[in-house]
Amino acid sequence: MSRLADIPVRIEPAVRTGGLGGGVTAILAELAALLERLAEHGDAGAIDLRSLPMSAQDRAALQAVLGEGEVQATLQADGASSIRETQVAGVWWIEHRDRHGEIIAELLEVAAVPLILGRAADEIAAAARRLRAGITVAAATGQP
Amino acid sequence: MITRDAATPASGQLSVGEMLLAHGIGRRGFIKFCTAAASAMALPPWMGAAMAEQLRNAARPSVVYLSFQECTGCFESFTRSFAPTIENLIFNVISLDYDDTLMAAAGDAAEAALASAMRDHFGNYVVVVDGSIPTGAGGAYCTAGGRSAVDTLREAAKGASAIICVGTCSSFGGIPFADPNPTGAWPVTAIVGGVPIINVSGCPPIPEVITGTLLQLVSTGQIPDLDEHRRPKAFFGNTIHDRCYRRPFFDAGKFAKTFDDEGARNGWCLYELGCKGPTTFNACATLKWNGGTSFPIESGHGCLGCSEPGFWDKGSFYSAESTPQWGKAGEATPKQVVELAGITAGVGAVLGTASAGVSRLRQASRQKAAEHEHQGDE
Repeated sequence: MSRLADIPVRIEPAVRTGGLGGGVTAILAELAALLERLAEHGDAGAIDLRSLPMSAQDRAALQAVLGEGEVQATLQADGASSIRETQVAGVWWIEHRDRHGEIIAELLEVAAVPLILGRAADEIAAAARRLRAGITVAAATGQP
Repeated sequence: MITRDAATPASGQLSVGEMLLAHGIGRRGFIKFCTAAASAMALPPWMGAAMAEQLRNAARPSVVYLSFQECTGCFESFTRSFAPTIENLIFNVISLDYDDTLMAAAGDAAEAALASAMRDHFGNYVVVVDGSIPTGAGGAYCTAGGRSAVDTLREAAKGASAIICVGTCSSFGGIPFADPNPTGAWPVTAIVGGVPIINVSGCPPIPEVITGTLLQLVSTGQIPDLDEHRRPKAFFGNTIHDRCYRRPFFDAGKFAKTFDDEGARNGWCLYELGCKGPTTFNACATLKWNGGTSFPIESGHGCLGCSEPGFWDKGSFYSAESTPQWGKAGEATPKQVVELAGITAGVGAVLGTASAGVSRLRQASRQKAAEHEHQGDE
Protein backbone atom coordinates (compact mmCIF):
# COMPACT_ATOMS: atom_id res chain seq x y z
CA MET A 1 0.00 0.00 0.00
CA SER A 2 1.19 3.49 -0.78
CA ARG A 3 2.89 5.61 1.76
CA LEU A 4 2.01 9.28 1.96
CA ALA A 5 5.03 10.18 -0.16
CA ASP A 6 3.83 7.81 -2.91
CA ILE A 7 0.33 9.21 -3.15
CA PRO A 8 -0.14 11.25 -6.31
CA VAL A 9 -1.83 14.18 -4.63
CA ARG A 10 -0.62 17.74 -4.81
CA ILE A 11 -0.19 19.21 -1.37
CA GLU A 12 0.04 22.96 -1.01
CA PRO A 13 3.62 23.82 -0.04
CA ALA A 14 4.10 25.16 3.46
CA VAL A 15 4.61 28.89 3.86
CA ARG A 16 8.34 29.58 3.69
CA THR A 17 10.03 32.02 6.04
CA GLY A 18 13.45 33.06 4.82
CA GLY A 19 13.80 29.76 2.95
CA LEU A 20 12.89 27.62 5.99
CA GLY A 21 9.84 25.38 6.23
CA GLY A 22 7.15 26.32 8.74
CA GLY A 23 8.02 23.29 10.89
CA VAL A 24 11.68 24.29 11.15
CA THR A 25 10.75 27.86 12.02
CA ALA A 26 8.47 26.55 14.77
CA ILE A 27 11.25 24.37 16.21
CA LEU A 28 13.68 27.29 16.17
CA ALA A 29 11.13 29.49 17.93
CA GLU A 30 10.62 26.79 20.58
CA LEU A 31 14.40 26.48 21.01
CA ALA A 32 14.66 30.25 21.47
CA ALA A 33 11.99 30.13 24.17
CA LEU A 34 13.72 27.21 25.92
CA LEU A 35 17.07 29.04 25.79
CA GLU A 36 15.51 32.17 27.31
CA ARG A 37 14.05 30.07 30.12
CA LEU A 38 17.42 28.38 30.67
CA ALA A 39 19.20 31.74 30.78
CA GLU A 40 16.70 33.35 33.15
CA HIS A 41 15.75 30.49 35.46
CA GLY A 42 18.30 27.75 34.83
CA ASP A 43 15.57 25.31 33.72
CA ALA A 44 16.69 22.77 31.14
CA GLY A 45 14.32 21.61 28.38
CA ALA A 46 14.15 19.36 25.34
CA ILE A 47 12.35 18.81 22.04
CA ASP A 48 11.63 15.23 20.95
CA LEU A 49 12.50 15.18 17.24
CA ARG A 50 10.89 11.78 16.73
CA SER A 51 7.48 13.17 17.65
CA LEU A 52 7.63 15.76 14.85
CA PRO A 53 6.67 14.90 11.27
CA MET A 54 9.75 16.41 9.57
CA SER A 55 10.62 15.92 5.93
CA ALA A 56 14.20 15.12 4.96
CA GLN A 57 14.41 18.66 3.59
CA ASP A 58 13.28 20.18 6.88
CA ARG A 59 15.68 18.03 8.81
CA ALA A 60 18.64 19.07 6.67
CA ALA A 61 17.60 22.70 7.00
CA LEU A 62 17.44 22.41 10.79
CA GLN A 63 20.87 20.80 10.93
CA ALA A 64 22.29 23.53 8.70
CA VAL A 65 20.87 26.31 10.85
CA LEU A 66 22.06 24.80 14.14
CA GLY A 67 25.49 23.81 12.79
CA GLU A 68 28.24 21.94 14.62
CA GLY A 69 29.67 23.13 17.93
CA GLU A 70 32.95 22.36 19.66
CA VAL A 71 32.01 19.26 21.63
CA GLN A 72 31.14 15.80 20.38
CA ALA A 73 30.75 12.94 22.84
CA THR A 74 29.98 9.26 22.39
CA LEU A 75 28.28 7.32 25.15
CA GLN A 76 28.33 3.52 25.32
CA ALA A 77 25.41 2.42 27.46
CA ASP A 78 23.20 -0.37 26.17
CA GLY A 79 24.06 0.82 22.64
CA ALA A 80 25.84 3.92 21.36
CA SER A 81 24.62 7.47 21.81
CA SER A 82 26.03 10.57 20.18
CA ILE A 83 25.88 13.92 21.94
CA ARG A 84 26.81 16.83 19.71
CA GLU A 85 26.96 20.47 20.68
CA THR A 86 25.50 22.81 18.08
CA GLN A 87 26.72 26.29 17.22
CA VAL A 88 23.85 27.61 19.30
CA ALA A 89 25.23 27.66 22.83
CA GLY A 90 23.11 25.51 25.12
CA VAL A 91 21.51 23.45 22.33
CA TRP A 92 22.68 19.83 22.04
CA TRP A 93 21.67 17.32 19.36
CA ILE A 94 21.36 13.91 21.03
CA GLU A 95 20.84 10.61 19.27
CA HIS A 96 20.33 7.35 21.22
CA ARG A 97 20.74 4.00 19.50
CA ASP A 98 20.08 0.49 20.80
CA ARG A 99 22.50 -2.44 20.70
CA HIS A 100 21.46 -3.14 17.10
CA GLY A 101 22.24 0.40 15.97
CA GLU A 102 18.58 1.43 15.60
CA ILE A 103 17.69 4.95 16.69
CA ILE A 104 15.46 4.74 19.77
CA ALA A 105 15.35 8.43 20.68
CA GLU A 106 16.49 11.69 19.13
CA LEU A 107 16.14 15.02 20.84
CA LEU A 108 17.39 18.56 21.03
CA GLU A 109 18.31 19.19 24.64
CA VAL A 110 18.60 22.74 25.90
CA ALA A 111 21.00 22.74 28.84
CA ALA A 112 24.43 23.99 29.91
CA VAL A 113 25.56 20.34 29.89
CA PRO A 114 23.28 17.46 28.81
CA LEU A 115 21.81 15.63 31.76
CA ILE A 116 23.12 12.28 30.60
CA LEU A 117 26.75 13.49 30.64
CA GLY A 118 26.76 14.60 34.26
CA ARG A 119 27.16 12.41 37.31
CA ALA A 120 24.70 12.43 40.20
CA ALA A 121 25.80 13.38 43.73
CA ASP A 122 25.08 9.88 45.08
CA GLU A 123 27.20 8.30 42.34
CA ILE A 124 30.09 10.63 43.21
CA ALA A 125 29.71 9.91 46.92
CA ALA A 126 29.68 6.16 46.25
CA ALA A 127 32.79 6.53 44.09
CA ALA A 128 34.55 8.39 46.92
CA ARG A 129 33.66 5.61 49.37
CA ARG A 130 34.93 2.95 46.99
CA LEU A 131 38.16 4.86 46.40
CA ARG A 132 38.72 5.33 50.15
CA ALA A 133 38.12 1.64 50.72
CA GLY A 134 40.49 0.80 47.88
CA ILE A 135 43.22 3.00 49.37
CA THR A 136 42.82 1.28 52.73
CA VAL A 137 43.05 -2.17 51.18
CA ALA A 138 46.01 -1.16 49.04
CA ALA A 139 47.82 0.28 52.05
CA ALA A 140 47.23 -2.88 54.07
CA THR A 141 48.09 -5.42 51.38
CA GLY A 142 50.44 -3.51 49.17
CA GLN A 143 48.26 -4.49 46.24
CA PRO A 144 46.69 -1.78 44.06
CA MET B 1 -2.43 7.14 43.91
CA ILE B 2 -0.70 3.88 44.70
CA THR B 3 0.52 3.77 48.27
CA ARG B 4 3.78 5.29 49.36
CA ASP B 5 4.99 1.88 50.40
CA ALA B 6 4.73 0.81 46.80
CA ALA B 7 6.92 3.66 45.59
CA THR B 8 9.54 3.49 48.32
CA PRO B 9 11.67 0.40 48.79
CA ALA B 10 11.28 -1.33 52.12
CA SER B 11 14.40 -1.98 54.15
CA GLY B 12 16.44 -4.70 52.53
CA GLN B 13 14.47 -4.50 49.28
CA LEU B 14 16.32 -3.46 46.15
CA SER B 15 15.16 -0.30 44.40
CA VAL B 16 14.84 -0.28 40.62
CA GLY B 17 18.13 1.63 40.39
CA GLU B 18 19.97 -0.85 42.59
CA MET B 19 18.53 -3.75 40.61
CA LEU B 20 19.70 -2.15 37.36
CA LEU B 21 23.17 -1.58 38.77
CA ALA B 22 23.27 -5.25 39.74
CA HIS B 23 22.60 -6.01 36.07
CA GLY B 24 25.37 -3.67 34.94
CA ILE B 25 23.08 -0.85 33.80
CA GLY B 26 24.26 2.46 35.25
CA ARG B 27 22.47 5.74 35.66
CA ARG B 28 23.28 6.90 32.14
CA GLY B 29 21.96 3.71 30.62
CA PHE B 30 18.84 4.12 32.68
CA ILE B 31 18.31 7.74 31.60
CA LYS B 32 18.67 6.53 28.03
CA PHE B 33 16.15 3.74 28.61
CA CYS B 34 13.63 6.16 30.10
CA THR B 35 14.21 8.79 27.39
CA ALA B 36 13.51 6.19 24.70
CA ALA B 37 10.45 4.93 26.60
CA ALA B 38 9.08 8.46 26.96
CA SER B 39 9.66 9.11 23.26
CA ALA B 40 7.92 5.87 22.29
CA MET B 41 5.01 6.76 24.54
CA ALA B 42 4.76 10.25 23.03
CA LEU B 43 5.35 11.77 26.46
CA PRO B 44 7.07 15.15 26.79
CA PRO B 45 10.84 14.66 26.51
CA TRP B 46 11.52 15.99 30.02
CA MET B 47 9.41 13.10 31.34
CA GLY B 48 12.21 10.70 30.45
CA ALA B 49 14.67 12.30 32.86
CA ALA B 50 12.01 12.75 35.55
CA MET B 51 10.91 9.16 35.11
CA ALA B 52 14.50 7.96 35.40
CA GLU B 53 15.06 9.86 38.63
CA GLN B 54 11.86 8.61 40.24
CA LEU B 55 12.20 5.05 39.01
CA ARG B 56 15.79 4.79 40.19
CA ASN B 57 14.72 5.19 43.79
CA ALA B 58 11.37 3.38 43.52
CA ALA B 59 10.64 -0.10 44.75
CA ARG B 60 9.94 -2.74 42.17
CA PRO B 61 6.24 -3.31 42.69
CA SER B 62 4.85 -6.79 42.94
CA VAL B 63 2.70 -7.51 39.90
CA VAL B 64 0.14 -10.30 39.72
CA TYR B 65 -1.00 -11.12 36.16
CA LEU B 66 -4.36 -12.89 36.03
CA SER B 67 -5.54 -14.47 32.77
CA PHE B 68 -9.23 -15.24 32.56
CA GLN B 69 -11.57 -15.68 29.59
CA GLU B 70 -9.18 -14.68 26.82
CA CYS B 71 -7.19 -15.89 23.81
CA THR B 72 -3.72 -14.90 25.14
CA GLY B 73 -3.40 -12.45 22.25
CA CYS B 74 -3.00 -9.59 24.71
CA PHE B 75 -0.18 -11.39 26.46
CA GLU B 76 1.44 -12.17 23.11
CA SER B 77 1.29 -8.45 22.38
CA PHE B 78 2.71 -7.61 25.82
CA THR B 79 5.78 -9.74 25.14
CA ARG B 80 6.52 -7.86 21.93
CA SER B 81 7.08 -4.43 23.39
CA PHE B 82 10.06 -2.55 22.00
CA ALA B 83 10.21 0.31 24.50
CA PRO B 84 10.47 -0.76 27.17
CA THR B 85 11.15 -4.35 26.25
CA ILE B 86 9.40 -7.01 28.26
CA GLU B 87 12.75 -8.27 29.59
CA ASN B 88 13.67 -4.80 30.82
CA LEU B 89 10.30 -4.42 32.45
CA ILE B 90 10.17 -7.81 34.13
CA PHE B 91 13.79 -8.08 35.19
CA ASN B 92 14.42 -4.48 36.19
CA VAL B 93 11.27 -2.48 36.84
CA ILE B 94 8.61 -4.82 38.24
CA SER B 95 8.56 -8.02 40.21
CA LEU B 96 6.26 -10.32 38.27
CA ASP B 97 5.26 -12.65 41.09
CA TYR B 98 2.46 -14.55 39.36
CA ASP B 99 1.66 -15.18 35.72
CA ASP B 100 0.37 -18.61 34.89
CA THR B 101 1.39 -18.24 31.23
CA LEU B 102 5.03 -17.34 31.88
CA MET B 103 5.92 -18.88 35.21
CA ALA B 104 7.81 -22.14 35.43
CA ALA B 105 5.83 -23.23 38.48
CA ALA B 106 2.58 -25.14 38.04
CA GLY B 107 -0.19 -26.57 40.16
CA ASP B 108 0.06 -26.01 43.93
CA ALA B 109 3.40 -24.21 43.62
CA ALA B 110 1.90 -21.65 41.25
CA GLU B 111 -1.12 -21.08 43.48
CA ALA B 112 1.18 -20.72 46.47
CA ALA B 113 3.12 -18.01 44.61
CA LEU B 114 -0.12 -16.10 44.06
CA ALA B 115 -1.15 -16.41 47.70
CA SER B 116 2.30 -15.39 48.86
CA ALA B 117 2.41 -12.29 46.63
CA MET B 118 -1.03 -11.17 47.84
CA ARG B 119 -0.17 -11.79 51.49
CA ASP B 120 3.34 -10.27 51.51
CA HIS B 121 2.44 -7.17 49.48
CA PHE B 122 -1.11 -6.62 50.68
CA GLY B 123 -2.21 -3.11 49.75
CA ASN B 124 0.75 -2.56 47.46
CA TYR B 125 0.66 -5.00 44.57
CA VAL B 126 -0.64 -4.24 41.08
CA VAL B 127 -3.09 -6.66 39.47
CA VAL B 128 -3.06 -6.98 35.68
CA VAL B 129 -6.15 -8.67 34.28
CA ASP B 130 -6.34 -10.18 30.84
CA GLY B 131 -9.74 -11.50 29.69
CA SER B 132 -13.36 -11.08 30.68
CA ILE B 133 -14.93 -12.72 33.71
CA PRO B 134 -17.68 -15.28 33.07
CA THR B 135 -20.38 -15.35 35.71
CA GLY B 136 -22.72 -17.93 34.15
CA ALA B 137 -23.08 -21.39 35.73
CA GLY B 138 -21.69 -20.06 38.98
CA GLY B 139 -18.48 -18.98 37.30
CA ALA B 140 -17.71 -22.50 36.10
CA TYR B 141 -16.75 -21.41 32.57
CA CYS B 142 -13.34 -20.25 33.77
CA THR B 143 -11.60 -21.82 36.75
CA ALA B 144 -8.00 -22.31 37.82
CA GLY B 145 -6.78 -24.14 40.88
CA GLY B 146 -10.38 -25.06 41.67
CA ARG B 147 -11.52 -21.43 41.95
CA SER B 148 -13.62 -19.42 39.55
CA ALA B 149 -12.30 -16.32 37.82
CA VAL B 150 -14.88 -14.25 39.70
CA ASP B 151 -13.63 -15.41 43.09
CA THR B 152 -9.96 -15.06 42.16
CA LEU B 153 -10.48 -11.53 40.90
CA ARG B 154 -12.49 -10.45 43.94
CA GLU B 155 -9.85 -11.80 46.31
CA ALA B 156 -6.94 -10.30 44.36
CA ALA B 157 -8.65 -6.92 44.19
CA LYS B 158 -8.89 -6.66 47.99
CA GLY B 159 -5.18 -5.99 48.46
CA ALA B 160 -4.40 -4.34 45.11
CA SER B 161 -3.14 -0.78 44.84
CA ALA B 162 -4.43 -0.65 41.27
CA ILE B 163 -5.87 -2.92 38.60
CA ILE B 164 -4.76 -2.64 34.99
CA CYS B 165 -7.17 -4.26 32.54
CA VAL B 166 -5.17 -5.34 29.51
CA GLY B 167 -7.29 -5.77 26.41
CA THR B 168 -10.88 -5.08 25.46
CA CYS B 169 -12.17 -8.27 27.15
CA SER B 170 -11.15 -7.23 30.67
CA SER B 171 -11.82 -3.55 29.92
CA PHE B 172 -15.24 -3.77 28.28
CA GLY B 173 -16.14 -7.46 28.02
CA GLY B 174 -14.81 -7.85 24.48
CA ILE B 175 -15.68 -10.82 22.32
CA PRO B 176 -16.96 -13.09 25.16
CA PHE B 177 -19.37 -10.27 26.11
CA ALA B 178 -20.64 -10.04 22.52
CA ASP B 179 -24.16 -11.11 21.76
CA PRO B 180 -25.38 -13.68 22.85
CA ASN B 181 -22.74 -13.79 25.62
CA PRO B 182 -23.28 -17.47 26.45
CA THR B 183 -20.98 -17.46 29.49
CA GLY B 184 -22.39 -14.37 31.16
CA ALA B 185 -19.09 -12.53 30.67
CA TRP B 186 -18.44 -9.11 32.21
CA PRO B 187 -15.58 -6.64 32.33
CA VAL B 188 -13.57 -6.09 35.52
CA THR B 189 -15.43 -2.88 36.38
CA ALA B 190 -18.65 -4.88 36.68
CA ILE B 191 -17.12 -7.26 39.21
CA VAL B 192 -14.98 -5.19 41.58
CA GLY B 193 -15.02 -1.64 42.91
CA GLY B 194 -13.18 0.46 45.45
CA VAL B 195 -9.79 0.15 43.74
CA PRO B 196 -8.34 2.30 40.92
CA ILE B 197 -8.95 0.58 37.59
CA ILE B 198 -7.10 1.49 34.39
CA ASN B 199 -8.38 0.15 31.09
CA VAL B 200 -5.78 -0.51 28.41
CA SER B 201 -8.19 -1.60 25.72
CA GLY B 202 -7.49 -3.04 22.28
CA CYS B 203 -7.79 -6.45 20.68
CA PRO B 204 -4.97 -6.70 21.44
CA PRO B 205 -3.61 -3.44 22.87
CA ILE B 206 -0.43 -1.97 21.40
CA PRO B 207 2.52 -3.54 23.28
CA GLU B 208 4.09 -0.18 24.14
CA VAL B 209 0.78 1.05 25.53
CA ILE B 210 0.69 -1.89 27.96
CA THR B 211 4.28 -1.54 29.11
CA GLY B 212 4.12 2.26 28.99
CA THR B 213 1.08 2.33 31.29
CA LEU B 214 2.83 0.04 33.75
CA LEU B 215 5.99 2.13 33.58
CA GLN B 216 4.06 5.35 34.15
CA LEU B 217 2.28 3.84 37.13
CA VAL B 218 5.51 2.60 38.69
CA SER B 219 7.58 5.71 37.99
CA THR B 220 5.06 8.29 39.17
CA GLY B 221 3.28 6.22 41.81
CA GLN B 222 0.06 7.76 40.53
CA ILE B 223 -2.83 6.74 38.34
CA PRO B 224 -2.36 8.49 34.98
CA ASP B 225 -5.00 10.86 33.61
CA LEU B 226 -7.85 8.74 32.27
CA ASP B 227 -10.64 9.35 29.78
CA GLU B 228 -14.34 8.59 30.30
CA HIS B 229 -13.66 4.87 29.73
CA ARG B 230 -10.77 4.85 32.26
CA ARG B 231 -8.16 4.70 29.49
CA PRO B 232 -4.85 6.61 29.84
CA LYS B 233 -5.22 9.87 27.93
CA ALA B 234 -1.55 9.74 26.94
CA PHE B 235 -2.42 6.89 24.58
CA PHE B 236 -6.16 7.20 24.04
CA GLY B 237 -6.45 10.98 23.79
CA ASN B 238 -6.90 11.10 20.00
CA THR B 239 -8.92 9.14 17.49
CA ILE B 240 -7.17 7.06 14.86
CA HIS B 241 -8.80 9.39 12.34
CA ASP B 242 -7.31 12.50 14.00
CA ARG B 243 -3.77 11.21 13.45
CA CYS B 244 -4.26 9.13 10.30
CA TYR B 245 -1.89 9.80 7.42
CA ARG B 246 -4.87 9.27 5.05
CA ARG B 247 -6.80 12.11 6.68
CA PRO B 248 -6.04 14.56 3.82
CA PHE B 249 -8.06 12.26 1.50
CA PHE B 250 -11.01 12.22 3.88
CA ASP B 251 -10.91 16.01 3.98
CA ALA B 252 -10.67 16.11 0.18
CA GLY B 253 -13.60 13.67 -0.21
CA LYS B 254 -11.48 10.97 -1.86
CA PHE B 255 -12.66 7.51 -0.73
CA ALA B 256 -11.74 3.98 -1.82
CA LYS B 257 -14.94 2.16 -2.87
CA THR B 258 -13.50 -1.38 -2.90
CA PHE B 259 -10.28 -2.88 -1.61
CA ASP B 260 -8.80 -3.15 -5.09
CA ASP B 261 -9.99 -0.07 -6.93
CA GLU B 262 -7.86 2.83 -8.02
CA GLY B 263 -8.67 4.75 -4.86
CA ALA B 264 -7.43 1.88 -2.67
CA ARG B 265 -4.26 1.61 -4.74
CA ASN B 266 -3.72 5.34 -4.35
CA GLY B 267 -4.10 5.13 -0.60
CA TRP B 268 -7.38 7.05 -0.36
CA CYS B 269 -9.49 7.13 2.78
CA LEU B 270 -11.10 3.81 3.81
CA TYR B 271 -14.11 5.38 5.53
CA GLU B 272 -16.65 3.97 3.08
CA LEU B 273 -15.10 0.50 3.43
CA GLY B 274 -15.98 0.49 7.10
CA CYS B 275 -12.99 2.14 8.75
CA LYS B 276 -13.94 2.96 12.36
CA GLY B 277 -11.05 5.39 12.77
CA PRO B 278 -13.29 8.44 13.30
CA THR B 279 -14.81 6.98 16.47
CA THR B 280 -11.90 4.92 17.79
CA PHE B 281 -9.54 6.30 20.40
CA ASN B 282 -6.14 4.62 20.30
CA ALA B 283 -2.49 5.26 19.41
CA CYS B 284 -2.18 2.95 16.36
CA ALA B 285 -1.65 5.86 13.95
CA THR B 286 1.21 7.31 16.01
CA LEU B 287 2.93 4.51 17.93
CA LYS B 288 2.04 1.96 15.25
CA TRP B 289 2.87 -1.76 15.62
CA ASN B 290 5.96 -3.96 15.51
CA GLY B 291 8.32 -1.28 16.68
CA GLY B 292 6.67 1.48 14.68
CA THR B 293 6.59 -0.43 11.38
CA SER B 294 2.98 0.03 10.34
CA PHE B 295 -0.65 -0.13 11.43
CA PRO B 296 -3.77 -1.67 9.85
CA ILE B 297 -4.80 1.38 7.80
CA GLU B 298 -1.25 1.67 6.45
CA SER B 299 -1.59 -1.98 5.38
CA GLY B 300 -4.79 -1.19 3.46
CA HIS B 301 -7.47 -2.29 5.94
CA GLY B 302 -9.83 -0.05 7.84
CA CYS B 303 -9.75 0.24 11.62
CA LEU B 304 -12.08 -2.25 13.36
CA GLY B 305 -12.53 -0.02 16.39
CA CYS B 306 -11.25 -2.79 18.67
CA SER B 307 -10.40 -0.49 21.57
CA GLU B 308 -13.96 0.79 21.92
CA PRO B 309 -16.71 -0.72 24.10
CA GLY B 310 -18.98 -3.16 22.27
CA PHE B 311 -16.88 -3.13 19.10
CA TRP B 312 -17.81 -6.69 18.15
CA ASP B 313 -21.54 -5.94 18.10
CA LYS B 314 -21.51 -2.66 16.23
CA GLY B 315 -22.46 -4.11 12.86
CA SER B 316 -20.27 -5.07 9.94
CA PHE B 317 -16.61 -4.14 9.96
CA TYR B 318 -17.05 -3.39 6.27
CA SER B 319 -19.97 -0.97 6.44
CA ALA B 320 -19.43 2.74 6.79
CA GLU B 321 -20.08 4.08 10.26
CA SER B 322 -23.12 5.91 8.99
CA THR B 323 -24.79 2.56 8.21
CA PRO B 324 -27.70 1.86 10.57
CA GLN B 325 -26.82 -0.76 13.18
CA TRP B 326 -29.00 -3.30 14.86
CA GLY B 327 -28.40 -5.60 17.77
CA LYS B 328 -27.32 -5.56 21.35
CA ALA B 329 -24.40 -3.60 20.65
CA GLY B 330 -25.32 -1.26 18.94
CA GLU B 331 -26.23 -0.15 22.25
CA ALA B 332 -28.46 1.96 20.05
CA THR B 333 -32.14 1.23 20.32
CA PRO B 334 -34.17 0.50 17.17
CA LYS B 335 -35.70 3.93 17.65
CA GLN B 336 -32.26 5.56 17.55
CA VAL B 337 -31.37 3.55 14.47
CA VAL B 338 -34.51 4.71 12.74
CA GLU B 339 -33.61 8.25 13.65
CA LEU B 340 -30.15 7.71 12.22
CA ALA B 341 -31.50 6.22 9.02
CA GLY B 342 -34.04 8.98 8.69
CA ILE B 343 -31.48 11.71 8.58
CA THR B 344 -29.03 9.89 6.35
CA ALA B 345 -29.36 11.42 2.93
CA GLY B 346 -26.60 12.37 0.55
CA VAL B 347 -22.86 12.37 0.97
CA GLY B 348 -22.80 15.59 2.91
CA ALA B 349 -25.28 14.25 5.41
CA VAL B 350 -23.34 11.04 5.87
CA LEU B 351 -20.55 12.63 7.82
CA GLY B 352 -22.85 14.69 9.97
CA THR B 353 -24.95 11.63 10.64
CA ALA B 354 -21.94 9.63 11.66
CA SER B 355 -21.08 12.29 14.17
CA ALA B 356 -24.61 12.40 15.57
CA GLY B 357 -24.78 8.62 15.66
CA VAL B 358 -21.47 8.40 17.44
CA SER B 359 -22.64 10.86 20.03
CA ARG B 360 -25.76 8.80 20.70
CA LEU B 361 -23.84 5.52 20.78
CA ARG B 362 -21.38 7.04 23.22
CA GLN B 363 -24.20 8.21 25.43
CA ALA B 364 -25.73 4.74 25.46
CA SER B 365 -22.32 3.20 26.02
CA ARG B 366 -21.67 5.48 28.99
CA GLN B 367 -24.99 4.49 30.49
CA LYS B 368 -24.12 0.85 30.08
CA ALA B 369 -20.68 1.35 31.65
CA ALA B 370 -22.32 3.14 34.57
CA GLU B 371 -24.64 0.18 35.02
CA HIS B 372 -21.65 -2.17 35.06
CA GLU B 373 -19.87 -0.10 37.65
CA HIS B 374 -22.97 0.12 39.77
CA GLN B 375 -23.20 -3.64 39.70
CA GLY B 376 -19.52 -3.91 40.62
CA ASP B 377 -19.96 -1.69 43.65
CA GLU B 378 -22.77 -3.77 45.05
